[in-house]
Amino acid sequence: MDKKPAVIEKEAQKELELLRAPAPAPLVPLPIEVLVPEARQQTPAVRQRATRPDARLHGLGATKYIDDMYLPGMLFCKIKRAGIASARILKVDTSEAEAMPGVVAVITGKDVPCNSFGPSLKDQPVLADERVFHAGDGVAAVAAVTEQIAAEALEKIQVEYEPIEPVLDPLLSLQLETPGIHAPSPNIYGHKVIKKGDVQKAFADSYKVYEGQFRTQMVEHVPLEPHSSLATWDANGRVTIYSTLGRITLGRADISRTIGVPMSRIRIVATIVGGNFGGKNEITTEPVVALLSKKTGRPVKCTFTRPEEFTSSTTRHPLIMDYKTGVTKEGKILGRQIRLVLEGGAYCSWSETTLGKACILSAGPYKIDNLYAEAFVVYTNKTMTGAMRGFGAPQVCFAYESHMDDMAKDLGLDPLEMRLMNALEEGSLSPTSQKLHSVVVKESLLQAAERFGWKNGNGHGHGNGNRQ
Amino acid sequence: MKRRGRGIACMWYPIGFTVAANPSAAVVKINEDGTATLLTGTVETGQGSLTILAQIVAQELGIATDDVHVVSADTDTTPMDTGAIASRTTYVTGNAARLAAEKAKNILFEVAAPVLGVKPSQLECADHKIQVLGFPQRNMHIGDVADRARGVNGQPPIGSASYNPATVALDAETGQGKPFATYVYATQIAEVDVDDETGEVEVLRIVASHDCGTPINPMLVEGQVEGGISMGVGFALEEEILFDKFGRQMNPNLTNYIMPTSLDMPKIEVDIVDSYDPTGPFGAKGVGEPTCVSTAAAILNAIHDAVGVRIHSLPATAEKVHAALKAKRAQEARQITAGAA
Repeated sequence: MDKKPAVIEKEAQKELELLRAPAPAPLVPLPIEVLVPEARQQTPAVRQRATRPDARLHGLGATKYIDDMYLPGMLFCKIKRAGIASARILKVDTSEAEAMPGVVAVITGKDVPCNSFGPSLKDQPVLADERVFHAGDGVAAVAAVTEQIAAEALEKIQVEYEPIEPVLDPLLSLQLETPGIHAPSPNIYGHKVIKKGDVQKAFADSYKVYEGQFRTQMVEHVPLEPHSSLATWDANGRVTIYSTLGRITLGRADISRTIGVPMSRIRIVATIVGGNFGGKNEITTEPVVALLSKKTGRPVKCTFTRPEEFTSSTTRHPLIMDYKTGVTKEGKILGRQIRLVLEGGAYCSWSETTLGKACILSAGPYKIDNLYAEAFVVYTNKTMTGAMRGFGAPQVCFAYESHMDDMAKDLGLDPLEMRLMNALEEGSLSPTSQKLHSVVVKESLLQAAERFGWKNGNGHGHGNGNRQ
Repeated sequence: MKRRGRGIACMWYPIGFTVAANPSAAVVKINEDGTATLLTGTVETGQGSLTILAQIVAQELGIATDDVHVVSADTDTTPMDTGAIASRTTYVTGNAARLAAEKAKNILFEVAAPVLGVKPSQLECADHKIQVLGFPQRNMHIGDVADRARGVNGQPPIGSASYNPATVALDAETGQGKPFATYVYATQIAEVDVDDETGEVEVLRIVASHDCGTPINPMLVEGQVEGGISMGVGFALEEEILFDKFGRQMNPNLTNYIMPTSLDMPKIEVDIVDSYDPTGPFGAKGVGEPTCVSTAAAILNAIHDAVGVRIHSLPATAEKVHAALKAKRAQEARQITAGAA
């Protein structure tokens, strides 16, 4: 085929260009970020599966937790635990520990300027001074040049106790007359009622009335990183505390109160925290390291051992839950009566919040016009309970959902259908008569059932239990 | 013999404190290059909340998550926050961060409006630009506007705001009132195998369908759900602090306090329910605590479905399930004997 000369010339030029050496690369550094925008670099930002900026550090093991921090001249603190659930402290002798080489300072509850704190009731000491309320109470604290010496010094501290019969059963505590464990305060330190409609009439109108009692246990948060804090004072009398606290603003108020230093002279830095789950919502070692650091003029660090994490931090409230529910023949709930007893352990901590949430949520995500829910929280001489992921909700959910399945089985109903029949809807009134918005109980039930293959009978059929 | 069973459990859970004020404050500073800094007093405790807050600020300013640096958890530099508690960070701190970003953004709108020849109310932020509503081609780069705000108008774009959920106190006698601003809802379904000779329970699969309003970051929502389920599995089957008769803990260590490891985890399938809360930042509510609420209930209902025994107290250890199976068999044997007689 004939080609026009101009075209041939153009093609020849193209070939020449191909043979020419490539232009030198511009003298700029290589891009350090990927060229294709990742989720973190895209707009709009909401709904992006953006990675966390700290993920890389965690992945490389480069994250610095408080236990990885060392300041020049830093001392290590260990706390002596009572090991007895209930006693009067007659005498604490720290002289032998103080005489040990490497021990720089020892403090007891008497050295704490204001030895009480707590989110609602100020019933908890920093270090027990007159009375031990549970075995995990601290009675003295040592600052030494090494962790080993501090631990050995604890063995040399002599504490004389006058044992007091501990109260370990929450139902017994509920019955005990005042004065109670924290005399003159009563053992029942929180009570809540949610009342709506007429439960007795609803039971009378019911086709059947079901009852059940459910109990839950005490569990720990078990964060990978235990509680830790490090205090250091400057020459102007200002203290900086690095802490695993999840709530620094209120933590600072508690530290200010207990060590008697104005808030303007306290700086709290919460570093990256290795797990919280509600367990790091209040002060633990912070006042102790601040006072030891002040006494010694050196930075002081304290990290809980794993056993201390169990015995001396908060735990989840064990609950005893009595449910009584009246239903129609079709499975519609007419009325429900609930009684909850929360075991608070030795101190109030976040019991008030747990009591309130457990009581309000105890009816479940259901439309119940006639309701009577009553909840008590009592002291015992066991490990203190406090905030933990769900504030009483996992406990009451175990009860109301077990109860629901028992009723469904007896009525010959599909557990899914019985829930759908009673579920809250947009605009439903809650147990406290709050008009609810953006309610999606039914949507979540149907979505989960669809994904699971509930209606196809998935997971069902081998057993001899709740068969349809 | 292993017997298969399934159990369903749904739940509701509130966001924020019960009636009590639980405010958050936030400060947003827009830099001269169009990136931003958020100051917040909340603490990152592993859940990814600082990433969520960065995404909320970025969304308000039309920039990317990576463009927002978050300074947190220092009482000397960051504003008041009630903290990482009560599943409140996305909703409460998120609302404060969004309002602070909006205030800083309004300064940029004041600066850009005369340049673009429109009123501030006719502007929007999108894709690193401040643009005229309906006429996106009429725009300025957010960095140019921020630089102009400082260098020409003398008004650095900084916003601060606080937020506290709206509640109404509960009546002392009846408990009636509005304790929380909003709630989330969820369902979990568990599939288990129960060994009817040993009582051992193996959780095979959990399907979780959770409402969190708008998922600001679906990956972090899934992470929370998976973590919550692992806590729920431990609560259902293994974990328990035991006391001796003197009130001392018997198992305060990870040798004798048994909790689920990765090998004990079931297959987890997470769905996010389509939902929007007009009171939350961009429709978001929260997700932290609710993820562990219904797991134990679903597992215990599945045990009941598999072998027909109702365990009334947690945890449902193999010993407890075995004892319940034994009691059930003894009762059935008595019924057969009575029937024969």
